[in-house]
This record gives sequence, structure tokens and C-alpha cells, in this order.
Amino acid sequence: MNQTAGVALAAIMTPLEQPSFAPRAAPMKVRAKVRAWCSMALAITCATLLAACGKSPDPTPIPTPKVAVAEKTSTDATLAILATTDLRDISPLEAMVLKATGVTLRFSFGGTMESTEQVLTGKTKADVAWFANAKYLLSDPQGQAKVKLQEKIMLSPIVVGVSESEVARLGWTDASKVTWKTVMEGARSGKLKYALSNPATSNQGYMALVGVVAAVSQKAEALTAADIDRKAVADFLKGYKLVGDNSTYLSEKFIEQQGVYVNAFINYESWLLSMNQSGKLKEPLRLFYPREGIATADYPFMLLNEAKRGEYQKVVDYLKGEEAQSWLARTTLRRPVNSAAASAATFPTATLVELPFSPDRGLADGLIDAYLNEFRKPIASTFVLDTSGSMNGGTRRTDLINALHSVAGADSSLTGRLARLSSRERIWMLPFAELVGAPTYFEIPVATAADAQKKADALGNVRDYATALKMQGGTALYDAIYDAVVLMNREQAKNRQYQYSVIAFTDGENNKGRDLNQFKIDYAALPEDARAIPVFTVAFGEASEAALKEVSKLSGGKSFDARKMPLSAVFKEIRAYQ
Amino acid sequence: MNRTAKAIVTVVLLATLGGAVFFALRGTQQEQLANGQNPTLRLPGLRGMQTVELSGVIALDVEPFFKDSRVTKVLIDNGFKLNVTRIGSRDMAQRVVQAGGPDFMFPSGIVAANQILEAAKRVNQTGTQYTPFYTPMVIASWKPIAGILQANGLATPLTGGAFSVDLAKLVALMQAKTRWKDMKASTAFDVNKSVLVSTTDVRKSNSGAMYLALAAYALNNNELPGDRATAEQVAKKAADLFKRQGYQENYVNGNFDDYVAIGIGKTPMAFIYENQMIAFALSKPVAAEMTLLYPNPTIVNKVVFVAMNERSKRLGELLTTNAELLNIGLEYGFRTSDGAAFLQKAQAAKLGVDEKLNHLIDPPSFETMSLMIDVVTREMSQ
Repeated sequence: MNQTAGVALAAIMTPLEQPSFAPRAAPMKVRAKVRAWCSMALAITCATLLAACGKSPDPTPIPTPKVAVAEKTSTDATLAILATTDLRDISPLEAMVLKATGVTLRFSFGGTMESTEQVLTGKTKADVAWFANAKYLLSDPQGQAKVKLQEKIMLSPIVVGVSESEVARLGWTDASKVTWKTVMEGARSGKLKYALSNPATSNQGYMALVGVVAAVSQKAEALTAADIDRKAVADFLKGYKLVGDNSTYLSEKFIEQQGVYVNAFINYESWLLSMNQSGKLKEPLRLFYPREGIATADYPFMLLNEAKRGEYQKVVDYLKGEEAQSWLARTTLRRPVNSAAASAATFPTATLVELPFSPDRGLADGLIDAYLNEFRKPIASTFVLDTSGSMNGGTRRTDLINALHSVAGADSSLTGRLARLSSRERIWMLPFAELVGAPTYFEIPVATAADAQKKADALGNVRDYATALKMQGGTALYDAIYDAVVLMNREQAKNRQYQYSVIAFTDGENNKGRDLNQFKIDYAALPEDARAIPVFTVAFGEASEAALKEVSKLSGGKSFDARKMPLSAVFKEIRAYQ
Repeated sequence: MNRTAKAIVTVVLLATLGGAVFFALRGTQQEQLANGQNPTLRLPGLRGMQTVELSGVIALDVEPFFKDSRVTKVLIDNGFKLNVTRIGSRDMAQRVVQAGGPDFMFPSGIVAANQILEAAKRVNQTGTQYTPFYTPMVIASWKPIAGILQANGLATPLTGGAFSVDLAKLVALMQAKTRWKDMKASTAFDVNKSVLVSTTDVRKSNSGAMYLALAAYALNNNELPGDRATAEQVAKKAADLFKRQGYQENYVNGNFDDYVAIGIGKTPMAFIYENQMIAFALSKPVAAEMTLLYPNPTIVNKVVFVAMNERSKRLGELLTTNAELLNIGLEYGFRTSDGAAFLQKAQAAKLGVDEKLNHLIDPPSFETMSLMIDVVTREMSQ
């Protein structure tokens, strides 16, 4: 059964996942479902098999009289891989690996920081971790201890792509002179408006901040927390116009907004070259490799589960072999580590001087905290809270309250501080049931060392509000979302210094007030500014996912399903888009 | 403690530790004596013998050798069936147990091999060391870099294209936090970075430890630290050379992989085993600008096989005496007692090497080495 599933998977995947850049987003969903089904099948087969064999697979197959049995053993081999989201484009490789090694790869994806934490805390069940940059993990002794073996598979430096027509205006005609300081100056002057993954969750975002700090400090070796020049970081972030959590989302938005709101994209060389090849851009991006400020992702493939050593070795040997390396270079435009594949694609040959990676946790903590609490455009959002009677069902009410508590709490983990309400943040709580309630406003003050209590008090008020929520009556969902968008639009007109958004939590079908059609009509009549405010929806209970998806899509937001992931995780993800 | 006293302590220590720890660097094909065992025990008539199944843990460095089908064949012909697992060299000592542990361990170097013997002693076991191969520690670098070092009086060319680099001067230059762009005639690499040799993580790797030993020697006026106080003091100074690098790879090939795949911009100078470069150059064309710098003095790393019981001693014996196995070792870039054969391989790889290795120092004792590693570890976590 598993073998059939594998073949079916390969057949489905190949035509969908073509090298081109554009069709990635849609087929992913189809594939994810296929994969989910396959992995279920696999899990069952493997469980049976393991029970039968008794022990973990040995690299040297035990000789058995029946050849067929030995073959079955090898085709049933799987590796669960926790990968960083930028690796989504290597999916077609699954079929190639299966064919060459008999090992089925099962991917799950996460942001760099989140995935690092998963491995550090031992939460992940994955056999292998495959990150663009594992230095966050491997500079921690605890992280080192989790990694049994590692091999770098490919390379891609973080670079700055600028719309061709903007290069001269920026004065970047001599590419060899561009440094992270030049990039910071471009952002400060308002000429450079870039898209970048969230510095608190992603390797690209974080390393860009480090690049700026290094270039401004002129330090000749690894940075420490004391080197952070806050003004330089703030200036660089003035150009940060398109925020998102992963490259797929950012690319879609970038294609829409190129030339209007953004003119540059900071990302891996491979990703930007792929975008240029896709033909989807309004104009191609010219790539700048910041002088003496290169951070190259080296994609180590890391064994976490000792019992999978045999499968791991087979897959690594294949991935580092000429066939896979050539495919990776040609199709994903990452640089191969095996020089035998060098001819598969050509890359710029200029010497790229690397930034030393600083293992100083103080630097990371300092930069990320400063980014969230001081530098980033502060968040202003309306939480649309479903307080209809059905929310009393199951654990829904407690789930919602707990989620609000954790957002207003003190989760100090690597990703927890991202989900947390940060200094300067403004929140309106907008409850609804039969009717839309009155908004309650909170503002989180800047916590100075002398006055940390004020921030703690404000967070306490948010928690008290959540605890007091009462659930009763029908569900006027679309009225509530509409009112929230109008409210945010009104606030935006008063103060443009904030990043506005709406987050709606609901468990039910809309049964009061506007229906979806009326909502769409009214929404379309709103001014453009209002329609640019993203609406994030979070479904639990019986909520209609399709309808919620439509609403979030209309506004450029995203829909989440709290039935599939914990609410606290949903919050973390939403905030990476804000 | 004054200088004379230190010198005396050094001599006494050297004498005490004797042949168990410090080795004559030539004639490495001979087995090493350890714990009074006689490794030259020779078993007659292998044909018709029952196959001996042995389990062992090996370091990444020797894995390609063990995986080689020709090696497997020689081993089978000689009545061995091996079940090997690759683990980190420093983790091997933890695998030493009273009973039921691996039959043999093949770490990447002498420091880890000595650590295994220490661990064995603690559980009343004996380990026997054999040294089939050795390889000097070198700096993989680039011709433009060698040119800058030469212009600044640090390097001299050797016949064949490699360079000798003055260890004391290089360490002093790095301690002074000199930047590449501040060097004379540095247009080929006029970057803001400090001159630093990149290494693997000293807390995890043998090659990192070898670099620490060399740095300690240079920082201690060209002698190995002879007592604990000196070792501590010198290691504290040397810690800077690690700390300032930022993140260091913590697996053996990490540093060399960066050198080969990312290049001069990441690793202008990478501290590696010579055999890594030779093995690479024998299988793939070497970029025209790649070159080797031989620190003067340098350390030779012995690839030490540790037999943990009588059964595996015969394997140690075979590894050090079988001509075919030694020849395969040469293909992996190692040196054996046959200098001419090694030179032939280097020529085939189109690599300039330092054939003679005239100035070598011994690695410090296991105790001194672990003390210094502890100090650096402590300094680095601050």
C-alpha cells in the first residue's frame, strides 16, 4: 500500500511542481493533502513493519532468503524532515530521492526560529532537520547534542534585489560599492522600499539586521550585543514596507505591489533569481551582494534520530551526488556544494566576503527584542471576538481566553516573545454575538527600566478583559468584521505611524446581520485605504473555512485554522505577518 | 615559576609520559605501545579461520576509508566482518564501558585516542593504540592570501607551490587584531576582516584542539606549556583566536566544506588536515588559486586505531602492516612511512606539499590538552 502511495505521490507531484516559480502556491495545498494521506498510510505500514522487525533499521540489511522482503524493507523507509519554509521549492526532489534511495521523505515546514526551538526543546518528532541556517541551533550546546550528523547540501547568499528602473535613482550603479550601510542609507532617504521576512522569525530578516549593524560598526570580527547601533537599525527599518513570515507569501505580495509600495526584495539569491525567471515581475530585479556583508545559507541536513542513520546516509549521499546537485542548481538556483555539478547553472563569480556569524545569544536577543519593541512599525489591531453562545461548547471559550492570556503574558521562548504584545502596541477588543459590541481599547506602554510596572499593568488589564468574556446569542460575524475594518480605517486616518490589521476569531456560521454577499458589496465600496488593511481570520468549532478564507483573501490577509494548530501558535504566525 | 624551573618540569613531564603519549613522528607504521601491552603479537595462518565479527565506532575522517569496497575485501579475506558506526571523536571516550562496549574505536586523532585510554583505565580496561596513518595539520588557503603573507614577511614559498608560514609571526599578527586591508600589498584581499585562521569548534573537534596546541606553543615563546598555571594562562590568550571567529563549524568537514564550496570570502585560511585537501584534489580538480600553507612548526596528527580487546588487536595489526590497506590510505591523502609513495600521490593531485616537515612539535599531553580546552570553552561561553 505504501509503495502504491509513493508512486501515486510521485505521479501527482511531478506535473504540478514544475521548476517555474509561479505555480508553487496552489499545488502545495493539493500536495499537502496527498502527503497527509500518504503519511498516514506510511505511519501504519511502518508501525506494522517495525513491530514485525522489532528494532530500528540497520544500515546493513539483514540477509533474508526472500529477496522480495528485503526490497520491501527498503521501500518502506521514511525520513520525517523538519525544514525551513524557504525549502518548499525542493518538493519535486521527494520523488527523485524515493526513486534513487527507496526512502520516502515527509516534510513539515516552519520558520527558522520556530524550527530551531522545536529541535532545542525536543518537541519535534522529525528524524532530520534541514534548515537554511542552523547556526542558531548549533551554537547552543543543547542544540549540538541533538544533532548526530550533519552535511551541508547547497548554498545561497542573502542578497538585495532592486527593480532595474530604480537602480540609477538609488545611485547604485557601481554594484561593488554597495554595502549594508548603503542599503540602510537608501531606506533612510525613503528611496528604498523593501520586502523582507520578519527579522524575529526568519534567517533572512535577522541576518539583514546583523549586516546593517556590522557595516555600520566596521567591526572586523564577530559582533556582540554592545555593537548594536540602534539609530542605524531604525533607519534601515524605515524602508521595511512589506512584512511577512515566509517567502511564498512575500513573493505574491511583491508581485502585486512592485513599483507601487515596494521596489526591492531582500532574500536568498536563489529565490530572487527564481522570481526573475518566473516572468511574473513587472520588471526584473538586479541583485546586489552587499560588500563584506554576505550571509550564506548552507542548508545543513542534520540527523536527529539515531535510529534513522541508515536512511539518512543514503539520502545524504544522493543529495550530495551529481544528479541531485545538478537538479538543485538548475531548478532551485541554489549553488551546489559538489563541484561536479558546477556546470548545471551559472552564478556570479565575484568573491563574496562573509559576515562572521555571531553565536552571541545576547546579540540575537538584543536585536530581536529591539526590533519588536522599539524599531518596527508598531502594531494597531482590532481583535474581533466571537462571544456567541456556541462558544460555550467544548473548550472553545477557555481556548480563546487562554490564547489571549498567552498573548498578554510572558512567554520568553525564542518565538514566544514574537507572539507577545509588544511595547507601543494598540489593541481594540471588539466582541460580537447577536450584535456587534463596543470596542475596548488597550495600549501597551514602552517599558523603561525604571517603569516596567506600567507595561505589566497594561498586560494585566488585557488578561482581565479576556477572563471576563461572556458567551451568549447568535453570530453577526460579517457585521463585526466590517465594523472593525471601518474602525481601523478611521484610526489610520488619524495616525499613519502604525501597522493596522484586523484579527477575527469565530467558531460559527454567520447567522445575524449581513451575509457574505452583502459584506462583499459593502466591503467593495470602502475606500482603498480601508481595503488595504489585512483581515486575518481564525476558525474554530464549526466555522466555515471557505467563507473565512474568502474574507481574508479579499483583504490580503490570511486564514488560520485553530482546529489544526493551537491558538497560541496561530497568534505567533499572525504576528509574523503584521 | 621561573623559566628554568618550567623547562625542568617540561622535561620531567616529557620523560614521565614517555612513549605512551609522545611519539616519534617517523616510522608511524609501527604500532604504538600503550599500557604495557605488546601489540606485535602476531596470529598465524588466517586462512580457514573463523570470521571474526567486530563492532567499532569510527570518526568521519576514516569513514570513507572503511566504506571503500577494496578495504572491505581485504578485511573479509583476512577473516573480519566489521559493523562500524560513525560518531564524533570526543564522544568515543563515553562509549568505553566495563563490558559490552565497542571492540575498537578509530578516532580522528591522538588527543581523542588518549582520552579513550584514560576512560578505559577508569573501568579497568586496556586499550591498545596502532597508528597506520598520519597527516600534518595545514592551512588551506589561496594564492592571493599567500602572496600577502609573503609580502609581509610571514610566508616563504616551498618548491612545488606550497608555502611555509611562520607560526609565531602569524599568531602575533592575529593577536594584534590586524585587518587584511591594513597589511602591506593587500589589494588582492583588502577587506575589513581581521586576519584569523578559521577552525572547527575546539570544544568538539580534534583539529580545533590541534590548532589550540599550536597557538599555545607560539604564545608561550615557542614551547609547550609545561605546568597547569602556564597552560591556563596561555589558553586564556589563545581563546581569543577562537572567540573572535564567531561561529565555528562543529563537525570535522565543516571548515573544509566552507573552504571548498564558499571560498576565500568565508575562509581565507582554513585549518585542516593535509589529507582532507589531498583526498579532495585526487577526486576533483583543484581551483587554480588553492594552495597549502604549512605552519612552521606544525603538528602531525596520527590516525590512531584503538583496540579495546584481544580480538580487535589483530585488526590493528592488519591495518598497520597490510600493504594494500596502506596504499588505499594513501589515496585518502594520508601519509604512511613510505614518503615517496605519498609524494607520488600529491603530484597526481597536482598539489604542492611540504615533503619533509622539518619542524614538528609534539601534541601536549592529554591532561594539558583537556585543561586548555576547558579554559577555552569557559572563555567562549562568556
